[in-house]
Amino acid sequence: MVREFKLPDVGEGLTEAEIVSWLVEVGDTVSEDQPVAEVETDKAVVEVPAPVNGTVREIRAEEGEMVPVGEVIITFDVEGEPVEPMESDEPAESDDTEDEAGVESAVSAVDDADDEPAESGTATKGGRTFAAPSARRLARELDVDIEAVEGSGPGGRVTEQDVRAHAEHGEEEAETPDEDAEPAVKSATREVTDEPAEHEVTEAAGAGTPSVESADRDRTLAAPATRTLAEEEGVDIDAVPTDETRDGEAFVAPEQVREYAEAQRAAQAADAETVAEAVDEVEGTEADRVERRPYKGIRRTIGDAMERSKYTAPHVTHHEEVVVDDLVATRERLKATAEERGSRLTYTPFVVKAVVEALKEHPILNSQLDEENDEILVNHYYNIGIAVATEAGLMVPVVENADEKGLLAIADEVNELAGKARDRSITREEMQGGTFSITNFGAIGGEYATPIINYPETAILGLGSLEQRPVVEDSGASETPRTSGEAASGEVVAKHTLPLSLSIDHRVIDGADAARFVDTLADYLENPELLLL
Amino acid sequence: MVVGDISTGTEVLVIGAGPGGYVAAIRAAQLGLDTTLVERDAYGGVCLNRGCIPSKALITAADTAHGAAHAEEMGIHADPAVDMKGMQSWKEGVVDQLTGGVEKLCKANGVNLVEGTAEFAGEGRVRVAHGGEGQGSETIEYEHAIVATGSRPIQIPGFEFDGEHVLSSKDALDLDSVPEELVVVGAGYIGMELSTTYAKLGSDVTVVEMLDGALPSYENDVARVVRKRAEALGVEFHFGEGASEWEPHGEGVRVTTETDDGEEAAYTADKVLVAVGRTPVTDTLGLDAIGLEPDEDGFLATDEFGETDVENVYAVGDVAGEPMLAHKASAEGEVVAEHIAGEPVAMDFQAIPAAVFTDPEIGTVGMTEDEADEAGFDPVVGQMPMNASGRALTLAETDGFVRVVADEETGFLLGAQVVAPEASELVAELALAVEMGATLEDVGRTVHTHPTLSEAVMEAVKNAQGHAIHTLNR
Repeated sequence: MVREFKLPDVGEGLTEAEIVSWLVEVGDTVSEDQPVAEVETDKAVVEVPAPVNGTVREIRAEEGEMVPVGEVIITFDVEGEPVEPMESDEPAESDDTEDEAGVESAVSAVDDADDEPAESGTATKGGRTFAAPSARRLARELDVDIEAVEGSGPGGRVTEQDVRAHAEHGEEEAETPDEDAEPAVKSATREVTDEPAEHEVTEAAGAGTPSVESADRDRTLAAPATRTLAEEEGVDIDAVPTDETRDGEAFVAPEQVREYAEAQRAAQAADAETVAEAVDEVEGTEADRVERRPYKGIRRTIGDAMERSKYTAPHVTHHEEVVVDDLVATRERLKATAEERGSRLTYTPFVVKAVVEALKEHPILNSQLDEENDEILVNHYYNIGIAVATEAGLMVPVVENADEKGLLAIADEVNELAGKARDRSITREEMQGGTFSITNFGAIGGEYATPIINYPETAILGLGSLEQRPVVEDSGASETPRTSGEAASGEVVAKHTLPLSLSIDHRVIDGADAARFVDTLADYLENPELLLL
Repeated sequence: MVVGDISTGTEVLVIGAGPGGYVAAIRAAQLGLDTTLVERDAYGGVCLNRGCIPSKALITAADTAHGAAHAEEMGIHADPAVDMKGMQSWKEGVVDQLTGGVEKLCKANGVNLVEGTAEFAGEGRVRVAHGGEGQGSETIEYEHAIVATGSRPIQIPGFEFDGEHVLSSKDALDLDSVPEELVVVGAGYIGMELSTTYAKLGSDVTVVEMLDGALPSYENDVARVVRKRAEALGVEFHFGEGASEWEPHGEGVRVTTETDDGEEAAYTADKVLVAVGRTPVTDTLGLDAIGLEPDEDGFLATDEFGETDVENVYAVGDVAGEPMLAHKASAEGEVVAEHIAGEPVAMDFQAIPAAVFTDPEIGTVGMTEDEADEAGFDPVVGQMPMNASGRALTLAETDGFVRVVADEETGFLLGAQVVAPEASELVAELALAVEMGATLEDVGRTVHTHPTLSEAVMEAVKNAQGHAIHTLNR
């Protein structure tokens, strides 16, 4: 018998994933749990295991294709069971409980299984999808598996709108992983596609563009040529405004159709947003001057996360420069010992330790805003995210319970996680659960930045480049003996300094909190022996 | 024509100009593909030249003659004389007009027409041997090949077609006189159409069928209507008998049959027509050269885009499998051409309608009640007898019924069986409904013209819903 294998939900709230590569070919023999495909999800490449022992019957998704969760990506002929002819689609209601269980367990091998949306509605009853040929063609055009579309028509028939909604829905849901939001999104989409063209016009007109009043008659008198013209111009003749009547019925002349079509085009053009214009501009350029890259996968995930954070949390960034001569000296002294113990000691573990200590004194920076319950969650554990630049984009692995770990343990862990992130073997779990993040943009160069908070955390610390900079030293504190009476004025000296940029979510944290936290942090970084206390 | 080998290239090469091939070629050319169509015999294939079209011409002529002779009830008394030669020349005129039309359409759409028999010479190459001695041959290199070679009548051992005593369906359409007595071997749809036609033209027809009923692929109550009518026309049926041999008998033939139990019977007639089915044509194609092998029934297996096991070689129509119907071939031809041109199409037809031009006609589409049940639906059935149709009464053709099959829960129309006058036309509406995923409510609420036969479709649907007006609801 045939086992269909659907793309499992390989991560929380995930709705689609890219098939990076197939590890098997049609006809290959596979054993249970043998990886058959590499799938790129939010932030990682995950291997998808075979659910059964058998042979690969059919591969239904291409490499590079974005596949919605729940869509059948590969089918197997199960070992030791009779091979079925190609056409037979298993009916949805076959009481193959064993089969179902098999799929489930394969899914949970990757992650907790969500409910499978693929087998939906009565439209697929009897192994058949009820949909008009036009809807089926559209599904192929939009690369939608029509069997996975929930039909809204009578008896669950799949309409063109359903297919469109399904195609758009996949993308929508990536932004709102909330299951409850699903119907709302869906109906909203349907509403939009259902609207006849003239509504767009009126809306656009309301937005301060050339005003076009749309009529909404049931009947319009017009010459056949005028009707043809209206069709060509893509306008509804019943929507064309007119004062003229014939025999008491509204009468539309070719002139009016043209005017209306023109106005409609103008209104639509004005309605287009800047983004759309930018896109148009790009499209206008020759293909060899602009490279088009898909906005998907990790890039898209990063983008969505940044957008959510920046537009949800009002950011304030506090800047400070810290003199770290002692830190430099300390690290220099410990480096050799660390190496003896097989660890590479960078400044990061010191910063992590200092941050943890400062967080202990200013717990509000180790927090999260629970918007649903109107509560601020202050965390009494310290999971520190470390931003890592990889070829695929930004990733933030998390050092858990950093307060319980020594410098070398943190050093090793950071190095290991960063390595995994770069070769993309990192798991989702290793990038989740952070309470505060650190980004070391200074490793590449630069002094100050305005980091974006790793939402739902409420603060992020950015590190500039650690280098010698001129520092004005108060003469009193200076060890250099003074010869003249200029005791009140300071002296410019070269010191190792570390510029700090702390972004906070101003909903939860005030500027004063941020300043105090940075003061404390500066203390620890200037005097690393304080970390011993 | 140049003698020797010349070589040309084409993007799409279509082999066979029947309803599958010529449609594929025209569509491909419309889509801007450089298209070459090879035909060895006649444009339009079996359908136009010796199948659907000529048979329908003869059926119409026979109906006209028979109808005029049997209209006493309507107060018409006539004794029409059938001039078979005249009938044939009218038929030929119809065929010529259509085949000429196909050729013109191909040319007008820019299809390159090549006459000859095509044979694969290797991957991407076909050799076309031109008809006749010394006509030479040419090699055509293709990017995509579409095999549309169709089918030919099956011969049974001992009954080789000679066009004189043993007739194929093609021969039976070309007779220039009406045989007084005719034995027909096979009660499938071709056998039944021709038996009915010759019975109406005045032949004494005896039908011998190995299986135990006429039109064995149809439901019993559907087939029975047609058999009863054929019997009323004087056709004699012998079921469970297989034709074993024939011998000349005077000017005519003597056909011996045998039952499973070995019982023999013999029938004498002027001619014997053998219509026991059709078999796909693949033997002339040199499929070995591209490593393609037909399945055990001789068909070429294809995927949802019509592509065979060999990349860029497609098959459409009879050669690609059952049902062997012209409209299926054309539909497949369009899909393949569009697929090659990169359009998002596939052979995802929900149902392929079928028609039998017996008296009355049969039109079917989709599932029967049993098939729906097997597929996992809860079938609900609605029926309207034609004797309750006003229009059927005014046509004096009240045999038969319209039946629809739907899924009770969802109301989706799953299929229909129509045995009625103009059933071949009535089934079109039902095919649209099934293809669109229409429900009983959709069809029942569609206002149908009165007085027409199509009202029976609406009534059958309403009967399934339990509220037919003109029949008692069961």
